[in-house]
Amino acid sequence: MEKHEVKQRALARYKQERDWFAFLLQAAEYMDTPEGKLQVKMLRILLESKQNVIDCVEQDKPFVAAYFCTAPELFTAMDLPWFMIMETPFLAASAPYILEDLQGTEELGLGTDLCTAIRLPIYYIETGQMPVPSAVIGLLSPCDGTTMLQQVLQHNKAWHDVPIFCPDPPYKSDERAINYFANELRQMVRFVEKHTGHRLEIDRLRAVCEESNRTYALWQEYNELRRAVPSPHGWEIGGPQAFGVSQCFRAGDPRCTDWFRQLLECGEERVKAGRGANDYAPEKIRLLWFDIMPHGWIQEFMPWLEQEWGAVLVMDMFSNFPYTMIDTTSEETMFHDLAKRNLIDVPMIRQARGTAENFSGDIIRMVKDYKIDAVIWPGHMGHKDGAATAGIMRETCRDLGVPFLHIGVDLFDKRYTSVDEVKAKVSEFFSGMGLG
Amino acid sequence: MSFDDQISRVATHLTELRANGRAVREFRLPASADALRQGVPVRLGPGANPRIILRSETFIELGSPAAGSCALVLWTGNPALIADGRLTVVGPDIPEAAGASLPFGQILLVGGQELTDAEHQTVAQTQYVADQIEGYMVKSSSRNIWSRVSHGAAAKGFCFETLGRSLMAIYKSSLPKVQAMEVVFVTSSREDVLGLAGMAQEVREIGAEIVKEHWKAKGYDLDCDLDCRSCHDKEVCDDIRKVAAARLRKEKGGSATAAPPARESREADGPAPIGGTDA
Repeated sequence: MEKHEVKQRALARYKQERDWFAFLLQAAEYMDTPEGKLQVKMLRILLESKQNVIDCVEQDKPFVAAYFCTAPELFTAMDLPWFMIMETPFLAASAPYILEDLQGTEELGLGTDLCTAIRLPIYYIETGQMPVPSAVIGLLSPCDGTTMLQQVLQHNKAWHDVPIFCPDPPYKSDERAINYFANELRQMVRFVEKHTGHRLEIDRLRAVCEESNRTYALWQEYNELRRAVPSPHGWEIGGPQAFGVSQCFRAGDPRCTDWFRQLLECGEERVKAGRGANDYAPEKIRLLWFDIMPHGWIQEFMPWLEQEWGAVLVMDMFSNFPYTMIDTTSEETMFHDLAKRNLIDVPMIRQARGTAENFSGDIIRMVKDYKIDAVIWPGHMGHKDGAATAGIMRETCRDLGVPFLHIGVDLFDKRYTSVDEVKAKVSEFFSGMGLG
Repeated sequence: MSFDDQISRVATHLTELRANGRAVREFRLPASADALRQGVPVRLGPGANPRIILRSETFIELGSPAAGSCALVLWTGNPALIADGRLTVVGPDIPEAAGASLPFGQILLVGGQELTDAEHQTVAQTQYVADQIEGYMVKSSSRNIWSRVSHGAAAKGFCFETLGRSLMAIYKSSLPKVQAMEVVFVTSSREDVLGLAGMAQEVREIGAEIVKEHWKAKGYDLDCDLDCRSCHDKEVCDDIRKVAAARLRKEKGGSATAAPPARESREADGPAPIGGTDA
C-alpha cells in the first residue's frame, strides 16, 4: 500500500475511533451523577489527544507513536502530540469493530496464541489503519511480543523509513539500572528532538513533572479511599481511568490533575456517606483483579460480579499505586525519577520486565491494605510471563489465607473463553471458598 | 544473611545526629507485648482502625514525598545487638506538630535467636500495620512509610511513644520468634531522614536476595539464570556491551573506535531490523 493511501485509510480509522469516543461522550453527558461528570471530563481529555493526532496527520505536523511507559511527561514538555501504539486494545476495546478486526488478524495469518494487544496493532499497521508517525518510540519490555511489534512496523512499506528508537530496559531494578535507563531516556529525547524538531526545555520539563506530581499525589490520596469498607468505587470509575488519565493522554497536564481532584472529592463524599460502589448491590466480596481489566467484555462481566455476588473490584494491577514522586531539583533528578517510574513502577512492566518478586510483594501489600477477600489472576493468554509465575502468586495467597483463582482468558477477545464460562468458573470459586 | 552491619551503623548515625545538636529523646519501654499494650491510649489489634483517615480528619502527616521519608526494618539473629524496649525520637514529637507534615524516618531493629531468612518477608511486611492501630493509617506507598494520625487519636494522647509501643507490641505478639526490639523515629529534618536513604537501598538489595533465595527453596525462580558461561545469548550480549561502551566513549567526547554492529543499535533511520545505523 502506498503512503498516501495509508494516510487516508489510517485517518478514516482513527476518525472512526474518535467518533466512537465522541458517541460515548454524548451518552455520558446524560449521566447526572458526579461519576458521570468524571467520565465526561476524561472523554474530553481523550478526544482532544485523538484530535491532536488527526490534526498532525492532516497538516503534516510532527507527532510520535509511543507507549504509556516511555515517560509521556517528556512529550508533554516538548509539546509533542503522541499516540499509544496499543491504543485500541487498551482504550477502545469496546468499539463495535473490534471483533471484525480480530477476525482480520486471523485472516492475516497471525497466530491466535499471540497476545491480542499486540496482534491488533500489527493488524492495523499491516492493513494501513494506523497513522504513520514522524518517529516511533519502541518498547523492548515486558515481553517478547512487544519487541516483535517493533520488528513488524520496521518491515512495513509505509513505516520502514520511519525512524525508531527503543529505550533499552535493563533486567535489574537497582540504582545502576535506574541510572542506565535515565540515560536511555536522555537519548530518546535527543532522538525525538532530531526527528520532530520539538525541543525539550528543562524548565518546562520541571513544570510538567511538578504538575505530574500533583496528579499522582491526588491519585494516591484517592486510592486510600478504596481501602474503605465498603469501597466507594468499583470497576466502573477510578481504576483504569486513573491509569489512562495519568499516563495515556497528556501526562503532567493541569486538566488531568483537575480530573483527579474531582475524582477524590467524589470518592470522599461517598466514603463520608458510607456509600459503596453500587447502591443496589451491597459489597460482600472485595476483589483484587491482578491484571489489565477485561476490556473486550467488561460490560458483560463486571456489572454481573457486583449484581450477582456483591463482588466489588477494589483493586487491580493498573489501579495500584507503587509510584514515587519526581524530584524536580535538577535535570539529573528528573531523569532519574522518570526512569524509575517507567522502568519499575508502571503496571505490567513492574511485574514482568525483570525479576518476579513484585508478583508476590504487590499481592501481599494490596491484600493487606485493601482488605481483599479474593485474588483473581485472569491468566490473559498473552501474559505468558505471568503464567510462569502463577505458582508464586498461588503460594503467596495460600500463605496469606486468601483464595486465589487462575482462570485463563483473553482480556480483549471473548471468543477465547466465553463470558459464560468465566462466570461459571468465578461462581464455582466463590461458592467453593464460602465467599457467597 | 542478616543486617548486623546496618544495625551497628544506625547507632553511628544516631551518634552523629546527637553530635550535630539534634534533640534526641530516649524512652525505655517494657519488654512484654502485654505490658506494651497497657501503655497505649488507643485500641490495638486487627480492625482497631476500621475507617480510613481522610484529609479533613488528619492531625498530622508523617513522611509525605514533599517532607521526606525513609523506612528500614533490620533484623538479626543476635538479640544482644538490640537494646530491647529502647525508643529513640530525634526531632519534634507528634503533639508538638499539630497540622504539620513532618519528615519521617522509621527504623525498626528486631532481634531473635531463631530469626532466619525464612522470616525476612514477614518481618519486613509487618511494618505496614494496616488497620491495627486506632487513629493511625499507613498510606499505600511503595518503599517508604507515609502515614497519618487522626484528630481523634491525637486527642487521646497519641505520640511517638504510642506508635513505638504499638509497633513493638504488634511485632512481639504476631512474630513469636522476636525476642528484642528497638525503634527509632527521626523527624528533625528532611536531610536527617534522607541521610538514611543509602542504607535503605542496601537493605532493599539484601532483602531482594533473601526473598529470591526463599522462593528458590520453594522451587520457584524469581530471577533468570544469569551465568554467562551457560547462556546461549552470550555472543549477542557481548556485542551489545561493545556497542554500549562505544556509545559511552562517543558521548564523553572521545571517538568510538569500535563501530557498532548494525543489528544491535536500537536506533534506526532506515529499513533495518531493530536497529541499523546510528541516526
